[in-house]
Amino acid sequence: MDTLLTIAVLLPLIAAFVLFLFPANNPKAIRAVAMFATGVSLLITLTLFANFDRTKSGYQFVHSIPWLPSYGCSLKFGVDGISMTLLLLVGFVSFCGAFVSSEIHEREKEYYILFLALTTGISGTFCTMDLFFFYFFYELAVIPMYLLIGMWGSLPPGKHGRTKEYATMKLTLYLTAGAVLALIGLLGVYFVGGTLDIEKLQHNIWLARGTQLWAFPCLLFGFGFLASLWPFHTWSPLGYAAAPTAASMMHAGVLKKLGAYGIIRLALPLLPEGARHWANLLAILACFNILYAGWAALTQKDWKFVIGYSSVSHMGYVLLGIATLNVVGVTGAVLLMFAHGVMAALTFALIGFFYHQTHNRFVPDLSGLARKIPFIGVCMVMAVMASSGLPGFANFASEVLVFLGSWQQGSTLFRVATICAVWGIVVTATYLLRAVRTSFFGPFDEKWSMLKDAVTFKQKFPYALLLAVLLTVGFYPRVLTDIIKQSVATSIVSRFSTGNEANAAPTDTAYKGGTTP
Amino acid sequence: MMSLYGVQLECLISIWGILILLVDAFKPIADKRMVGYLAAGFVAAALLYSFAIQPVPDAFFHGMFRLDPFALYFKRLFLLALAGVLLMAAEFSPRIESGVAEFYALLMFCAVGMLLIASVNDFILLFVSLELVTITFYVLASYLRRQVPSLEAGTKYLILGALSSGFTVYGIAYIFGTTGTTNFDKLAEILQSQAGPPSSAFVFGMLLVLTGLGFKIAGVPFQIWVPDVYQGAPTPVTAFLAVGSKAAGFALLLRVLYTGLLPVSLSWNALIAVLAGATLLYGNLGAIPQHNIKRLLGYSSIGHAGYMLMGVAAVNALGAGAVLFYLGQYAFTNLCAFLAIIAVTAATGSDEIPSFSGLGKRSPILGLALFLSMMSLAGIPPLSGFFGKFQLFAAVIQRAQTDSRYYVLAAIGAVAVVISLYFYLGVGRAIYLQEAEDATPIVVSKPMRFGLIVCMVAMIGIGIFQRPLVHASIMAAKVFSLH
Repeated sequence: MDTLLTIAVLLPLIAAFVLFLFPANNPKAIRAVAMFATGVSLLITLTLFANFDRTKSGYQFVHSIPWLPSYGCSLKFGVDGISMTLLLLVGFVSFCGAFVSSEIHEREKEYYILFLALTTGISGTFCTMDLFFFYFFYELAVIPMYLLIGMWGSLPPGKHGRTKEYATMKLTLYLTAGAVLALIGLLGVYFVGGTLDIEKLQHNIWLARGTQLWAFPCLLFGFGFLASLWPFHTWSPLGYAAAPTAASMMHAGVLKKLGAYGIIRLALPLLPEGARHWANLLAILACFNILYAGWAALTQKDWKFVIGYSSVSHMGYVLLGIATLNVVGVTGAVLLMFAHGVMAALTFALIGFFYHQTHNRFVPDLSGLARKIPFIGVCMVMAVMASSGLPGFANFASEVLVFLGSWQQGSTLFRVATICAVWGIVVTATYLLRAVRTSFFGPFDEKWSMLKDAVTFKQKFPYALLLAVLLTVGFYPRVLTDIIKQSVATSIVSRFSTGNEANAAPTDTAYKGGTTP
Repeated sequence: MMSLYGVQLECLISIWGILILLVDAFKPIADKRMVGYLAAGFVAAALLYSFAIQPVPDAFFHGMFRLDPFALYFKRLFLLALAGVLLMAAEFSPRIESGVAEFYALLMFCAVGMLLIASVNDFILLFVSLELVTITFYVLASYLRRQVPSLEAGTKYLILGALSSGFTVYGIAYIFGTTGTTNFDKLAEILQSQAGPPSSAFVFGMLLVLTGLGFKIAGVPFQIWVPDVYQGAPTPVTAFLAVGSKAAGFALLLRVLYTGLLPVSLSWNALIAVLAGATLLYGNLGAIPQHNIKRLLGYSSIGHAGYMLMGVAAVNALGAGAVLFYLGQYAFTNLCAFLAIIAVTAATGSDEIPSFSGLGKRSPILGLALFLSMMSLAGIPPLSGFFGKFQLFAAVIQRAQTDSRYYVLAAIGAVAVVISLYFYLGVGRAIYLQEAEDATPIVVSKPMRFGLIVCMVAMIGIGIFQRPLVHASIMAAKVFSLH
């Protein structure tokens, strides 16, 4: 059981090395290997989830290989409720991403190698329990992303006046800048704390207040670059717009969550005093994320830019949830990372489906598409509903938790932030419903009569799978919130509990009200 | 006999170099490439043999020459560099008009100088071995004697090199004059026993010696020669400058600072830290507008001197080990890059970056090799350069725990990493994102293919399984009494 987690994480990378030796002229076999690796990873992840002990709070399935004794570094994997949830997300999105990659028809070998390396980079970051390997996997994702966007991406000319090469370079530089900033903070933590073991740092070591105050912004803004924290978000819509479908899915769906995960996993529990000091600033920036990016999304005409800005806006809710520093808010943030990840992946996959045929994703140019592609249309409507936070979808449960947590935090600032955030939902609904109404409904334009819908099971499968996940978690959020709450309470919020016991108590009334609708 | 044990590698390479000269004079072999492959193979064998040599605690030749783990580490590094460069020289030989055998022999004599540098424990031997390296480089840099850029490179290197040699010997004279010894161990004893700060004449002498070494490692403010010489010199010579000469400079810098001058080194680290920051910014900012790949790598080599100076400035065991690790992986990375460049320029006749467009399609192995080496230079996992930079940053942050000014140096290093990614990705963009005007495939010879694969496997292997090289570099750095 313990080695299974390690296998689930490393399998895609091993498959990438295997593909390296494959002849490039057999795309079917190459695709089969990629599907196999991501599929088996997903199955193993589901097995682990089924066997996850929901009563325990610490790390489970821990497997450790000594790596660099001189640094006390080991290749150690393990999951708690938070990382289990996110590992599930990686499993679903990467499998569906490999599924919809059938649209790629040139240089398939390189494509799948990079895609698989990216997958391991992301799941490795979620599961590692070692500071060095956290950074290693975190940076591992950078280059595959650069090449995936640069080689297979497309960016229709528009007002932005940029090329896909500009977009991918910008994305890479922003992410690296953030990563190096985080590295300085992490090394500071390592030398003050004296160990690379995240679990020990979380529970046994309390860093000096001075260190905490300077290291926290390093980690917050360093990881904030990737979490598209305002004002470091500008790489994000452009990058998604230029990326091929599967890369957009992986990036908006999962990679972006690495940033928020870094803050939750490392910045909060390792530097609690720093977190308390900087939480207000984070809440203010999160509101800018929600409203500024929402407002920007209102003016976009390219479908991918709409969804790109929308995802920046949604990361604002995640960051607001993190800033509350209480069980309800942080649990909501983690659940929203999951929900938004699935939703964003679904939306980008759907856009990819019709863009592949229309070669046009300019909202005003599309009209009445739902007549020709009803299945895709229905999925899109549901994805938009989920994104606007309609009850029944996972996004609803998580956003409600974020609002409750933020209100419960109590200070005037957070009350105002909550009101702003709730208004953000109205903005979201406005731009998304408008885009869907224009391009999927309304008079049918004859030039789209050549469109083909997803008819076979194979074509429908990835979209149906992602929708099913959203609905399952939406109707029964406790399947995830139970394990998330447990870990958030014991390994994160307990670090803030001095003089704030109420938040750490797992039986919180507001919390219960939020999850059992 | 005992002394011969210490210098056996030097003897082996010298004899082999002389043999190549003699055979070429009396029974010339028509295919000069074959001679180069043979020489490279022999050096590779010597490299393997060097692992059978055990370090010796005592110094040879009246305390002048050491065969400690540090010396052995560098000797292996130089043999590796020499083998790679000879392979390049063999591929490059059709473009040399005459004297191909002499070209190989000169490279080998130059390497003998480097092998001696690895063992230096006395200022006299330091000067002699440094001159052996520098003077052969004057000849090598201007070897394409009908091409103006090559001649210009040789002349520039000669003038600045002679100047720096002058500084070095002048500085040695001052150090000898004030302390009465040229031996590093005795010097350390004398400095240890002195009460109060060292005399200003001694400090002056030390500054002059550091000037000479700054020229070798191409650190600011002695870096002006680098871009022109890198661009103009024959590509194998450029590679040897980047891999061998720089490592030799760092070997001497570490030896001088951490054995001879260790008692005063801690008061010097602020100067080195400032120079490290300046070198980082100069090299990385200067590389941005470059469109010739050799010139780009020249600026990049200044930048990498800056990273390694970060480790030197940290004056801790972690930093010394990190510099050694960095040099080790840097050798593989740069050899890989220059091997690929030689193969491409042999086909296209140009080393401007646009001529690398579409390389990923024209020759997948060359494209991959050049791309991976650029990413390793930029420090992206899972390549070896990543762990090299990680360790250097770790050393600086460790020092920052006691002296918070070092956070500034780490921040400059962080900025430099982001800048460097921009121009390395510029090469990557040409390779994979842009289309070639002339899409004819490039043929890669078998030895070249072998060399590229070895370097790529090493880059990825060291990047993922860091332990063997980390262990070796820590063992080598243990000869210094640092904490």
